[in-house]
Amino acid sequence: MWKEHYRIGSELIDSQHHELFDRVASFIRAVQEEGAWEERLDQVQATLEFMKEYVVIHFNDEEALQREIGYPGLEKHAAVHAAFREEIRQFAQRVEEEGFDEEKVQEFAARVMTWLIMHVGREDQRIGEFIRSQGGQQ
Amino acid sequence: MKVEYINPFYKATLDVFRIMLNLDVQRGQLRAVEELAPVSEANVVIGVTGDLRGSLLYSFPKEMALEMVTTMAGMPMSKLDAFVCSALGEVANIISGNAVTMLASSSLACQISPPQVFIGTQGSLSMATEKAIVVPLITPIGTFEVSVSLSSPQG
Ligand SMILES: [Fe+2]
Ligand SMILES: [Fe+2]
Repeated sequence: MWKEHYRIGSELIDSQHHELFDRVASFIRAVQEEGAWEERLDQVQATLEFMKEYVVIHFNDEEALQREIGYPGLEKHAAVHAAFREEIRQFAQRVEEEGFDEEKVQEFAARVMTWLIMHVGREDQRIGEFIRSQGGQQ
Repeated sequence: MKVEYINPFYKATLDVFRIMLNLDVQRGQLRAVEELAPVSEANVVIGVTGDLRGSLLYSFPKEMALEMVTTMAGMPMSKLDAFVCSALGEVANIISGNAVTMLASSSLACQISPPQVFIGTQGSLSMATEKAIVVPLITPIGTFEVSVSLSSPQG
């Protein structure tokens, strides 16, 4: 899922994006694989747990970078991050209360996939454009 | 139903397909229809409220839908399951959201409802009170159609 053209010019953020795409890909694989749902559940659960924490770390680091370079869209970008973090939290809570339903998890995986592609492919690229316009600082 | 409402949907599709799928989109010949009716297997309906009201129908051929999600996920998809259908719903949702944002810049404030996905070409959607304009969107992996039925409550 990761594409080289997603690079924005910050080593830390680029490696986190790479990791996020890899994890989402393995999440989708676990969700979409043939075989009994119960057998794939461990992988699904582990990835969800990882995502929940990693998204927080990544969003914080990315917002710190934006602050550091004086990125003008920080506030709006942070609000988008907050909304998605909340979505993940709500899904995790729902899973805790209702358990892992295969269809619900499939829907969630699709949501995370499309969100990540659009967000990294568009919003995060604007940070890269800004970095380049400033002469390529990190 | 004004033709001006159509352009934002084409522009949004162009944008979203470039970012999500790295594909170019060309617009086919517009046509007017009496009601929203699915022409292909994989369909997404989205409601619009606000300064414009009505519905949007995205209709994707099965093979194209599978190819789209295969590209996004980077792994082969072979059936229109909950994952593929949700991904399609999200794509339609993103396109509609972007189009509605563009309409807002011409002072039309609208909200969209969550996407509803259905499979099959049976029936028509009776919610359309107004004629719809169908926009064929031609891509290298197939042609899909967006039907737009929007009207201003103020007339
Ligand atoms: Fe990011
Ligand atoms: Fe971001």
